Amino acid sequence: MIEARGLTKRYGAKTAVDGVTFTVQPGQVTGFLGPNGAGKSTTMRMIVGLDRPTAGTVTVNGKPYGAHRRPLAEVGALLDAKAVHTGRTARNHLLAMAATHGIPTRRVDEVIDLTGLQPVASKRVGGFSLGMGQRLGIAAALLGDPRTLILDEPVNGLDPEGVVWVRNIAKYLASQGRTVFLSSHLMSEVALTADHVLVIGRGRILADAPVSEIVDGAERKLVRVRSPQASELADLLKANNTTVEAVEPGLLEVRGSNAADVGELAAASRIVLHELTPVASTLEEAYMSLTADSVEYQSEDIAAPAATTSDLEGSKA
Amino acid sequence: MSATVTAPAGGAAPGTTTERVPVQNVSFFRVLRSEWIKLWTLRSTWWTLASTIVVLVGFALMLALVVQLAGDSMQGASPEEQAQMGGFLGGTMVVAAGYEMAALVVAVLGALMITGEYSTGMIRSTFAAVPGRLPALFGKAVVLALVTAVLTAIALALSWLVTYPLLNSNDATVDFGDGAQVRSLLGTVLYVTLVALFALGLGALLRHTAGAIFTLVAIFLVVPTIVQIATFAAAQLEWIGVVNKLLPSVAGAQITPSAGAFPDVLDPWVGISVLAGYTLVVLAGAAARLKFQDA
Repeated sequence: MIEARGLTKRYGAKTAVDGVTFTVQPGQVTGFLGPNGAGKSTTMRMIVGLDRPTAGTVTVNGKPYGAHRRPLAEVGALLDAKAVHTGRTARNHLLAMAATHGIPTRRVDEVIDLTGLQPVASKRVGGFSLGMGQRLGIAAALLGDPRTLILDEPVNGLDPEGVVWVRNIAKYLASQGRTVFLSSHLMSEVALTADHVLVIGRGRILADAPVSEIVDGAERKLVRVRSPQASELADLLKANNTTVEAVEPGLLEVRGSNAADVGELAAASRIVLHELTPVASTLEEAYMSLTADSVEYQSEDIAAPAATTSDLEGSKA
Repeated sequence: MSATVTAPAGGAAPGTTTERVPVQNVSFFRVLRSEWIKLWTLRSTWWTLASTIVVLVGFALMLALVVQLAGDSMQGASPEEQAQMGGFLGGTMVVAAGYEMAALVVAVLGALMITGEYSTGMIRSTFAAVPGRLPALFGKAVVLALVTAVLTAIALALSWLVTYPLLNSNDATVDFGDGAQVRSLLGTVLYVTLVALFALGLGALLRHTAGAIFTLVAIFLVVPTIVQIATFAAAQLEWIGVVNKLLPSVAGAQITPSAGAFPDVLDPWVGISVLAGYTLVVLAGAAARLKFQDA
């Protein structure tokens, strides 16, 4: 169980994490979703005491991380890929970590087997691929058989087989009653792995709900309408309490209505339709719309220049 | 929650569990063991330690040859002249000839012990396992001090052994009955160890390998050279002499066989205490930064 209360981290004038409050429950996989720079890693670093919160508190299994006498048995953390000395072999790295908690060598070999590191266990970490580095990070996280697992972007750099493996191990650990907190910037990954999801953007929690709920929320129907009288239709639809977006001249995307109603409305006003397609919005889109205002590095959408209905009206006038 | 993670790597959902993993409380002794493993599982450790031995033994051999050559050229000299020569190049001085270079080499090791963790990201794993952080720094210090002291003692013993035939034929061997000579050799071990710890502290303060080594070389080599020139160029300025005798390298060196190169120096034990004091200050600064700043 992880409990954050008003957790805040500022770097000078920049606020990385802005008073977040959440609880990560045991027995399920909780996804921590947000765009790059949203504050996921900073939050996770504060949970394991690597970064000091500017304000607020965070506890793991009832205590601040630093107050645990066997921290590796409480929390296993994989934080941004390679927190490993590149000159040391994988096995020696694990042996050194294990020594701090008197964890026997057989457990080291166990986690090596578990993560499929046997072929490279005696190789120096500097030559590891990103995927192997991730596996080593997960091996280190599992070393103390912890009650809580914190995995920051665990599937980064993994091959498809590795991705499936991480998914399965996360679910398996949660099924044992452990707390699994897993971050990702990919909605699809979280949807496949997590039971519950925390969405973070610009340091704030935007959503804290079961994945199923977010999925349902995402199914706001969208209707795509192509018409030579698009602007006329847009005015008509807006008068009927729907949201209309002109994707390109002659093509509208209508929310808050359905294909049948749009068709009826058009027919009643003798507006010609060339296309009328109901589109279910994807999870990815729902996530995008949740975090749209909070992405730190906004990229220009080259494919679809945003033409709003007001632009359309302007061109008509 | 007591079940052990035994999911197979293949990805299939595992069904069985084994017994609970024995996990003990973190203790200073366990942190020491971890730091001990960390030290010996890096190649850089072996390189620097081998270099230390090569430097100490190599310099000793070179100086022993100088003694031999000097002895040859003084075949016809009077006993007084020979005694004067012996005083200038005594046995202990030959045996410990490379101590300054050796100190710089172990300083690299000391700095790397912590800067290597910062540059690779290992420090996050270290602090995740030892959230108190200070035990990790002190563990490194203890392991470093132990290894450096033992290694320097072994290297000095080797130096003594390989130079013995040359020194013996020139009547310039170490006199182990002479307390001052024994003290100067033990003092050399102490000096080298303190410099290594000083470097560890600098490394933890600066978190950067090149920065730490550059600063150390500046403090122990560059600044003393400049001050040394100043003491000769402006001998009338009293404060330069004071600065000179309080420099870490000059103060610390008074306990080694190379003591007394300047007119105004500290007593050997006072001098090494001054160096120990500087080392403590640097380590305290390092501890404060470690404890209160984000990793």
